[in-house]
Amino acid sequence: MIRLRQLAVCYWLQLKILLFSPFEGFLAVVFPLMFATAAMLVYEVGGDPEAILYAAIGAAAMGIWTSQTVSASTLVQRERWAGTLELVVAAPTRFSLVLLPITFAMATIGLYSVVATILWNWWLFDVRLQVENWPLFVLSILMATVTIALFGFLLSVTAVRYRTSWALGAALEYPGWLLCGFVVPLDLLPAAVLPLSWILAPTWAVEGMRASAAGESPWLDLAICGLVGLGYAALAAYLGVRLIDSARRDATLALT
Amino acid sequence: MVSLRIFFIGGLMSYRAMFGWMNPWIFVPALLVSPICQILLFAFIGRSAGVGDDEFYVIGNALNYAAIPCLFAMASTIAGERFSQTLGLVIATPARRVPLFLGRALPVIANGWGVAMFGVVVGSLLLDTDIPTSAWPLIALVVAVGSLSSTGLGLVMGAINLVYREGATLGNVLFLVLLIFTGTNVALDDLPGWMAAVGRCLPLTHAIEATRMLGDGATWGAVRGLVATELLIGLAYVVVGLSSIRVLERLSRSGATLDRI
Amino acid sequence: MPSRDPGRTVARVPLTDTPAVQARDLRRTFRSRSGIWRQTRSEVEAVKGVSFEIAPGELFGLLGPNGAGKTTTIKMLITLLIPTSGSASVLGRDVVTDVREVRSRIGYVFGGDRGLYERLTGLDNLRYFSELYGVPPREQRARIGSLLELVGLTGREGEKVEGYSRGMRQRLHIARGLLHDPDVFFLDEPSIGIDPVGARELRATIAGLRDQGKTVLLTTHYMFEADELCDRIAVIRSGEIVAEGTPDELKELVSAGRVLEVETYGVHDHVLDRLRVVPGVRSVVVEERGQLQVLVVASEPGAEVTQPVLGGLDETRVGRVSHRDPTLEDAYVELVTRTGA
Repeated sequence: MIRLRQLAVCYWLQLKILLFSPFEGFLAVVFPLMFATAAMLVYEVGGDPEAILYAAIGAAAMGIWTSQTVSASTLVQRERWAGTLELVVAAPTRFSLVLLPITFAMATIGLYSVVATILWNWWLFDVRLQVENWPLFVLSILMATVTIALFGFLLSVTAVRYRTSWALGAALEYPGWLLCGFVVPLDLLPAAVLPLSWILAPTWAVEGMRASAAGESPWLDLAICGLVGLGYAALAAYLGVRLIDSARRDATLALT
Repeated sequence: MVSLRIFFIGGLMSYRAMFGWMNPWIFVPALLVSPICQILLFAFIGRSAGVGDDEFYVIGNALNYAAIPCLFAMASTIAGERFSQTLGLVIATPARRVPLFLGRALPVIANGWGVAMFGVVVGSLLLDTDIPTSAWPLIALVVAVGSLSSTGLGLVMGAINLVYREGATLGNVLFLVLLIFTGTNVALDDLPGWMAAVGRCLPLTHAIEATRMLGDGATWGAVRGLVATELLIGLAYVVVGLSSIRVLERLSRSGATLDRI
Repeated sequence: MPSRDPGRTVARVPLTDTPAVQARDLRRTFRSRSGIWRQTRSEVEAVKGVSFEIAPGELFGLLGPNGAGKTTTIKMLITLLIPTSGSASVLGRDVVTDVREVRSRIGYVFGGDRGLYERLTGLDNLRYFSELYGVPPREQRARIGSLLELVGLTGREGEKVEGYSRGMRQRLHIARGLLHDPDVFFLDEPSIGIDPVGARELRATIAGLRDQGKTVLLTTHYMFEADELCDRIAVIRSGEIVAEGTPDELKELVSAGRVLEVETYGVHDHVLDRLRVVPGVRSVVVEERGQLQVLVVASEPGAEVTQPVLGGLDETRVGRVSHRDPTLEDAYVELVTRTGA
């Protein structure tokens, strides 16, 4: 009960921090939105309504990926710059429990960008999402959000020790958009990179979104998505402990 | 480029910003890997939508990405001065401003040119393009002109950053504007009329068009007009940028605005 | 020198024999790498075998110049760094293995204006750390309220931290460090960059902690601060403790007699060498003050060195000559500049 309250309060305060940030609160939404727009413009030139709808569904989820990978890989870095990383680590709460609400706060921004993109596409391109099964569609979006949050969680834990990890994390933005099949069908990609797509949970969530939009069953996709997401969480929890220990050994917490 | 946003937000402006460019851990993902990924992303979107060919996206996105170093590096050489509290010192010297700032622009233009050329060359190798060998020298020239005009916009942005604190946000918004309006991924003819009109006033638009024509085997005579227009637009931005800095300089004498951080 | 409450000594008799903080031969080396393509590694020994004990309720000062190893020592004690060798415990718990227990019973505050969430209000900063320290929800509101009162931020807690002055930030830091009512409190140069009024308030706050029976480890550059606050002081230099004792004991280490200050213009090194061997002179330190140099001459107890010293300065232009009682700063300067000590 107390733990739940702790997660909720920390989540709310972290969300406040993000909303007041010109980067997370504004760019993390606008940036993917504009890339989604550019992608939609290309599809508009093609003029195939089915392809446009296909792109519109995936484009909606692009923002979650951005807010997670880019923000998460810099999460630890930002705490370090603010000088709060040491204080947070010095608190008796487990570090992973500190990071979890932060990643969910970032996921909330991502969720907001989903809604913004859907409305934007409606307004600008007159694309109305035709969704057969709205509850399952929303569930798929939530699954995408949660699993990408867990991926971000894994990233931020991995990034604790490395100073320039943010540059590498940021470089994940475009490949993620491509590999998760947000705006390009996976069968267009070279077969060699498909295994990468499969271990990315959002790939399955986006499949689930498309399946529920088309009125098919998304359950298999969502189940795989959930499993992969749990894998991220387990790996992150394990690495979190290991990495904080080695940061204590190698004095990398206070680096600026 | 995404990394550059953070770069700034982290307060890495000033000397550290410039130093950061030299760090391969930042340089490679931000300026070499990311542009290639942007090219691949849109090339595959184009394939999926059945619009354009790979060469169209390789050239468009490679040149578009030159804007990242041009905008951010140019702006940071100016804003960096403010952060290190040296702008006042530089302005106070009797040195002529024009060579002073243009001298700083040169390495930035070279950087943008390198990034764009890397994108065109590697993109061409990865994807299905057939740019004739004879076109490359002229492509290199046109890309240089495009970098110059982007750097002109970077100079304007640097001037704005002197009074506006969220420089990184502004840089990204400008980059997004260029992405959508310059015909990077959708030819100007296919954009709504007002968007195309905006695009005609931006740097890179004419350079991208000229480079695509060269890639399709056009002669210098065919693209000369476009290149000249691009150069003029670039110079216009340079003039606007330099005069804004001059105005701000005057304002700062009366209001001490430049030393505020 | 402020009066020390004589009754306090009685109240502070340790309840157990366990020291609040114990460091045994703590060592810490840092490896640094430079260069990207051709990496060169170098090892720096930041702390070279530091041992001390702090009794429960004691206010212990760790003094030393920049880079002497103060912060590294503190970071080992608060579990953020693992010692390369040696051991340390806080309230009987090992700082390497018993991390969670140590962390929940200590508070940590460092100087400067970092370490706060700028975009949150002061109150939200405190709420956030209350959660991380597991302060029971029912007690949080009252606790935060009384801490805001203690550090004098009541009424300003609803403002975002980015608008706070340095002194306000520092006081917010202290409130944050006290949220979970820690038994041992680590203060790393808390008064750095604070104006004199703020620094005085801060000293009052720290003295208040001591009166509540908290154990405090304080590092500082300001000698009068240490003199006023600390029960005991250890002076650390280049990673080693070079002296330890009460402020008075440390002053006696330098000189039980008086300190002679001579203003000179253009004094030469060979003259200084000559003065240093004058019988009764313990140390000669030169303080540059613009064009003139002030020689601070510490003497052995009872020795009369004024005449011989002035005699040794016959080729040098001499200004004002004065005597004063030794301060902790004299002791400190001598301790950290003494070579081969």
